[in-house]
Amino acid sequence: MVATAKKAEDLSRFGQTVIEGKNVTKVFGETVTALEGANFDIQAGEFISLVGPSGCGKSTLLRLVAGLIEKTSGDVKVNDDLVTKPRTDIGMMFQKAVLLDWRTAIENVLLPSEMKHRITQEDKDKAMASLELVGLKGFEFHFPKQLSGGMQQRVALARLIQTGADIMLMDEPFGALDEFTRERLNVELMRIVGELKATTLFVTHNIQEAIYLADRVMVMTPRPGKIAEIIEVKFERPRDISIQTSREFNIIIEQVRDTLGSH
Amino acid sequence: MSYSTSQQTKNISLFKTLPFHLLIFAVLIVIWEMTNLYGFEDQIQADMIAPRPTNIVLAMLDIFIIDKTVWKHLISTFQKALLGASIGTAIGMGLAIAATLSLTFRKYIKPWIILLEATPRIAVGPIFVALLGFGLWSAVALAALVAFFGPFVNTFQGLMEIDEEAEEMFRSLGASRFQTFWKLRFASAMELISAGWKLATASAFGGALVAEFIQASEGMGVLIAQYVIMITMDYAFAGLLSVTIFGFILFKIMDYFDYRLIFWKNDYLLLKESEKRRKKAGIV
Repeated sequence: MVATAKKAEDLSRFGQTVIEGKNVTKVFGETVTALEGANFDIQAGEFISLVGPSGCGKSTLLRLVAGLIEKTSGDVKVNDDLVTKPRTDIGMMFQKAVLLDWRTAIENVLLPSEMKHRITQEDKDKAMASLELVGLKGFEFHFPKQLSGGMQQRVALARLIQTGADIMLMDEPFGALDEFTRERLNVELMRIVGELKATTLFVTHNIQEAIYLADRVMVMTPRPGKIAEIIEVKFERPRDISIQTSREFNIIIEQVRDTLGSH
Repeated sequence: MSYSTSQQTKNISLFKTLPFHLLIFAVLIVIWEMTNLYGFEDQIQADMIAPRPTNIVLAMLDIFIIDKTVWKHLISTFQKALLGASIGTAIGMGLAIAATLSLTFRKYIKPWIILLEATPRIAVGPIFVALLGFGLWSAVALAALVAFFGPFVNTFQGLMEIDEEAEEMFRSLGASRFQTFWKLRFASAMELISAGWKLATASAFGGALVAEFIQASEGMGVLIAQYVIMITMDYAFAGLLSVTIFGFILFKIMDYFDYRLIFWKNDYLLLKESEKRRKKAGIV
């Protein structure tokens, strides 16, 4: 009963604005404008990539949405609420996996549940399922030191899933991994996000990765950081990794490069 | 496994050097024995300055097995040292936690810490004896005073080392200050805190002995001082040797405790702990 009701609600949410930014500006100190007049509108279930060079304000934008830092002016809204502090409907992933070394993979995944209440059997079952979803079945009781960098990021992703948040903010989560691992994880992320129907904001400086994953790519340029262009990516999902060599894909790459180059 | 390889290398090198160590030790003992027998004109003088190793061994047998004098003094010193270490650690860690949580407290406590650091703490001993008497508590107080610093500095340093990304992750999970403190900061600081406990034990042991040397009714400090006054130097050396041996055992126990507690630094323990937790969860 409850499950059906939730599903109906999910469907009705599709196409609805989940994250909204109006003229968002962030100035650090007195003079460093990290983000200037950003306008964006992200729909439920959408995957948005934020791409641009260092210092273009993409991480700043992400942290503003997450409620980790305060805006200087403008408005950021999540589900129609002004963002003032970290929210439970948002889950995050960072460049480093930031796992606790003294906890096993599953104990790390259970961390979000621990913040809310005493751990129940249900939480444990959910954590097992989250780990299975990210391809770590059989590694539940490994410690972070016993896992590779790619596997550690998978644990971080499982921890994000465990929060139950339907908005995922990812700050260059695969930035520190080698190309092969990054590619594998891109494919897996595509599958997982599709399964969870989560709204995702994904920061990267890798153009291929940005386009491959996204419904829309927000191209950002530095000094001052701003959104220069928003490009739609209309490949059908689930996408095969081979689309990266297609002509259409390369046209979009050129488009992104042009925007970045002209600034 | 990298653990076993390094352990093997360690064992091999110990195996190679051990005979040399033993040889050097034997030679030194023989020279000492000879010095006592042939180096002095007067046997009384010889036994005072360089009591014969064989006599020291006999004295050890006497105080441990025949007369059993040493036990109550050893127990007394250990009791003072461990009590002092615990009290010093509790105070040191408490102050360090308060100092990391409150900037105001940190500012006010700073000059006192500097003052305390500049004071040779052993020199406070006679004052404690005057204040607290010859019994247990003056020695415990001095042990606590000298033990306090290690846990204080280590706990403070460990808690102040903040991993920005991990803090941000905790904030994004909506963690309370209390949760972030215990689950992240304190847990991350455990490695340094545990090292602080080792320091505390070692210094408390020294502190207790010094207090006993100054004035006390029992303890290894008293026993050694008595043997010196009676000019039974073989017994004094036996007392010193007992302190060394039991001190060494205490520090080894603390080392082992630290090694097991900070298990995630060691590949082999990590493997064992991982298996243990898997079994505990009922998954084989």
